[in-house]
Amino acid sequence: MSALPFMPFNSLSGDHRELGLVVAVLIGFAFGFVLERAGFGRGDKLAAQFYFYDMTVFKVMFSAIVTAMLGVMVASGVGLVDLKVLSEGAVSTTYLWSMIIGGVLLGFGFIISGYCPGTSAVAASSGSLDGLFTFLGVIGGSMLYAEAYPVLGKLYGLGDKGQLFLYDLLKVPAPVVAMAVTVMALAMFLGAEKVERIMARRRGDDTPLQAQAGRPKRLAFSVLGAAALVALGTLALPAAPRAAIPRATARPISQPQLARRVVDQPWTLRILDVRARKSCEVKRIPGAECAPIKTLGELGLPYASGERDLVLVATRTLGQVPVAALGYRGKVLVLDGGFDGWRTYALTRPTPPAATASAADREAYQFRAALHSAMTGRKPPAPVPAGGVKYVPRPKKKKGGGCG
Amino acid sequence: MDRSQKSSAPPARPTGPQFWNPYLAGVALGLVLLAAFLVTGSGLGASGAANRFAAATVNAVAPAHADATPQIARLKQGGQSILDDRLVFMVLGVVLGGAVAAYTAGRMGRKVIKGPRLKSNKTRLALALLGGVIMGVAARLALGCTSGQALSGGALLSVGAWVFMFSVFGGGYGMAYFVRKEWT
Repeated sequence: MSALPFMPFNSLSGDHRELGLVVAVLIGFAFGFVLERAGFGRGDKLAAQFYFYDMTVFKVMFSAIVTAMLGVMVASGVGLVDLKVLSEGAVSTTYLWSMIIGGVLLGFGFIISGYCPGTSAVAASSGSLDGLFTFLGVIGGSMLYAEAYPVLGKLYGLGDKGQLFLYDLLKVPAPVVAMAVTVMALAMFLGAEKVERIMARRRGDDTPLQAQAGRPKRLAFSVLGAAALVALGTLALPAAPRAAIPRATARPISQPQLARRVVDQPWTLRILDVRARKSCEVKRIPGAECAPIKTLGELGLPYASGERDLVLVATRTLGQVPVAALGYRGKVLVLDGGFDGWRTYALTRPTPPAATASAADREAYQFRAALHSAMTGRKPPAPVPAGGVKYVPRPKKKKGGGCG
Repeated sequence: MDRSQKSSAPPARPTGPQFWNPYLAGVALGLVLLAAFLVTGSGLGASGAANRFAAATVNAVAPAHADATPQIARLKQGGQSILDDRLVFMVLGVVLGGAVAAYTAGRMGRKVIKGPRLKSNKTRLALALLGGVIMGVAARLALGCTSGQALSGGALLSVGAWVFMFSVFGGGYGMAYFVRKEWT
């Protein structure tokens, strides 16, 4: 999903598929071009990082991380993108131990081959056979992993922390973490240059390192510093402007209406149970997501497609519809009577209608009886129609890797 | 630069005016990553494409075996081609971009890059292949490589990405001593 609502490029969606793939090629082109010009097409230059002669890998990587990080912070600070939505879409789960093991192994492979997977492709493209062999090795390693998954897979998924971000871990606003990372990176750049100078002197090598040429460095440093300050400054802005533009008004939906749709067309609904997480986890309407009202903002509802109707379920009828939900592009419905109403309607055994009841009443009763038995698993009171009640759980989305 | 003459002198250091200033190159790379985030909603990647090439190769040679291997079969879901993926196209772009950059800088040409003490090209290519295999496995375990995990995840402040990144540097520094003849 594009992070910018006005740029709907997505290689996975049918409408913009071709465009998405063209964009992927263009971004890859720029990626490869910059890597080559940075000197990352040469294994000896990359390997020199690990002998302290030439810290280019470190400098390029951290300047890139800081630049992109600050760009995202500023964009999210002014309301252009939603940091949470972007991060949840673009970042993999944190498997702490798998990432430590994988990282150390990748470091081994890096210094043995002289490349990482991306730079080996760059090296190969400039005619370097060692780069080509490394990339072929990466393909071979992927094959090995797939074949030996019963063994190697034991190392996968260890230390599952879900999607975890530094600012959640440290419990400070993201721009503050960004500022700290920027300051840390700039200090480490100066340290890296000092190490390079020491190593050059030790080797009797007085070739001036290009990095020491002052002007581009000062330019890069001041741009990054200024961007960090701007990102920090956005904290002082009022809440993102789009939150103030409600796109939808909420309408009520009755218990029988909701029940029928849950049974017949669950795919047209996105049910959000906004009660406290504990209550929601105990019992909720089939297919409902537990989304305590305070966390609604994290769901990125203004960016969701709006194809499904959003149903908000509180304990009783939800009084005031939260702003986060009003940004939703589709219909927003509020369950009349809330979950207490659902309990009475669907989870309590209905009383059979009198013999004189109308056909509509009988039908309503039959539906409720079937619903009740489906929800509670209790034997339905006779007489009941057979079957007919199904509920389709929403499939859980599995997060893949940024590379994967 | 003729590297064979440098065997006794300190190793030739490919640093100098031929490459961009590392900080400016880093800012440029960061802007590419930022563009990827804003336009496509996800970051950069490389090992994911290698994984797809691997799966597609197995699938072409032994389709029945591919279907029986869950790690490959899951890439075939939906019936589309295994190679029909954003990252495959991105790596295609990386190769094009790298080739254009190398050609326009006069760096295009068949070569084997290695340190001054290593004489054998065959040894170098064998080590390159071995390192690649290790990275292929590692990238699957860590859900990405230096591009997709460290760079993209790091910029979005993912804890796993930062742990991964420091582990990569740790692994590299830890192994560097043992392969010093390859590079210094």
